[in-house]
Amino acid sequence: MATVASTPESASPAPATPRPVATGRVYGLVGEFDTAAELYHAAEVVRDRGFKRWDVHSPFPIHGMDNAMGLGKSVVSYIVLCGGLTGFTTAVLLTFIPSTITYPLIVQGKPLNFFTVPAFFPIMFELTVLFSAFAAVFGMLAMNRLPRWHHPLFNHERFARSTDDGFFISIEATDPRFIEADVRELLESVGAQHITLVHDHD
Amino acid sequence: MSAATAKADPQPQTTAAPVEHFQFTNLGPLLFGLLVSGGAALVICLLLALFGTHALRERLLFSWLYAFAICFTVAAGSVFWVLVHHATDAEWSVVVRRILETVGTTFFYLWVFFLPVLFFAPTLYEWLDPAVFNADPVLVGKRALLNRPFWGFRAVFILAFFAILAWLLRYFSTRQDATGDPRWTVKLRQVTYPCLPLFALCLTFGAVDWFMSLNPHWYSTMWGVYVFAGSAWCAMAVLILITYALQRAGYLEGIATVEHYHIMGKLLLSFTVFWAYIGFGQYFLIWYANIPEEAEYFVARNTEGWNVLSTALVVCHFFIPFLALCSRINKRVPQRLAIISIWCVLIHLLDLYIIVIPAAGTEKAGPTLLSFFLALICLVAIAAPLAFLFLRNLAKTALYPLRDPRIVKSLKLVN
Repeated sequence: MATVASTPESASPAPATPRPVATGRVYGLVGEFDTAAELYHAAEVVRDRGFKRWDVHSPFPIHGMDNAMGLGKSVVSYIVLCGGLTGFTTAVLLTFIPSTITYPLIVQGKPLNFFTVPAFFPIMFELTVLFSAFAAVFGMLAMNRLPRWHHPLFNHERFARSTDDGFFISIEATDPRFIEADVRELLESVGAQHITLVHDHD
Repeated sequence: MSAATAKADPQPQTTAAPVEHFQFTNLGPLLFGLLVSGGAALVICLLLALFGTHALRERLLFSWLYAFAICFTVAAGSVFWVLVHHATDAEWSVVVRRILETVGTTFFYLWVFFLPVLFFAPTLYEWLDPAVFNADPVLVGKRALLNRPFWGFRAVFILAFFAILAWLLRYFSTRQDATGDPRWTVKLRQVTYPCLPLFALCLTFGAVDWFMSLNPHWYSTMWGVYVFAGSAWCAMAVLILITYALQRAGYLEGIATVEHYHIMGKLLLSFTVFWAYIGFGQYFLIWYANIPEEAEYFVARNTEGWNVLSTALVVCHFFIPFLALCSRINKRVPQRLAIISIWCVLIHLLDLYIIVIPAAGTEKAGPTLLSFFLALICLVAIAAPLAFLFLRNLAKTALYPLRDPRIVKSLKLVN
């Protein structure tokens, strides 16, 4: 199995430009479904078999899919909390150190001690929101290992349809339960078509 | 437990199962307690009003206005959530909507408790004294708004509007229980849209007439929104508590789920932030500009003994509920959400206390035990009878709109 070999029942027309032949290690098995409902039910089966390193791909978000996949709570919220606390602390230091310690200046008769804090609330608010937003975006990218130039799944010719009308399940070879024959049988049993072994590039 | 779950059938039945109806008569001790405590508090109020000194009567009247403000804001907030439900064609809130509609029905009786404020208004509002009014050019300039006939008319109009609106929202909704005819849903929507701006005007004028005019020199253009933010916040907390209490008593089993609590928790969180945003926006501009006629309100509440409560309000009304509600698990475990909601209701009591009571001439120096006691008595005197009437109205129809076209979607809610 040294090529990105479509299974014999593959009926799709060959793409205009053939992809480079992948010869690297096995990335995983990919199965294709016709509808979101089939994908949803297949995901429930894969979840119940105890797979951990797998994913579904669809042209649009499918409501309830996180439950069907058995996804837990995202870690991103804790990253955002840390970002928010960092922003808040930064704002507190940025406002109080200059205006009460290093360069005390009375503005509009407002005090120099803690009770001038309302003047700094907008800064605290803004920096908390800014750092939280940064933490959310970059935390999400880091959790998804993005940005990246390429993904092994793109070696699979039919996978381009996941942005159009294709619904896919990919089960990675690094999953502890991954045994090629078993996974292929599992995907077949849930009605997947064009089950394909996908390889990494190198 | 399992039998009740089995009855939680998404499909409306031709005959209403008992679990869909609140059993008013099973509540003997609670109803007895409400009637006795409410009656006793009313008698105490009456005795204090008849035999108390002039200063005590004034304090009592301010406490009465405070207790009225609590009940008014909770009921108005509940009407607001029903209006929002129909305006946005919401699905999630169908199963708890009847509770909100029924809290709104307290407007049928609330006007009775406003009568003392209406009749003894000159004790509360110094601008109603012609000598004070005519000697003060600032007040004379506000004559178009601050005169007794128009003030009284507005009060009657506002309370009548809310009572009629609450009646319409509940009447159409309960009519649908019988037939499931979707035209009642359309009718409710037709009621909602013209009433939304009217609701905003009535709540704003209520807030200005009854609370802001306690300090007639002072003005804040954010006042109506500020009172509204607290009202909607507290009404959501009350809704969570009533839903939780009903479930503890075995009702709404399998009807209101964790998902509904989660959404109610999210709305509570959003209005925690909204209140803080409005409250701080109002305070910040006045504090920074430092103009005497604007600052007057906050000077009275940030000096003397009131400073402690005003500072506590910032922490207790925003920071504590905000941090508590940020956590997903706190919104999804009904017990935890109920505890947070109890906190929110208590802090709403504090919020309005700081608005109303410091305006009394006798309370300038700070909060006193006597005024706490009087506020509590008045609160029991108004809230206990209203709670009794609420429970009675709740038992009159099904606990949730059985045949609302969106009921199945609400039952199958997923966040």
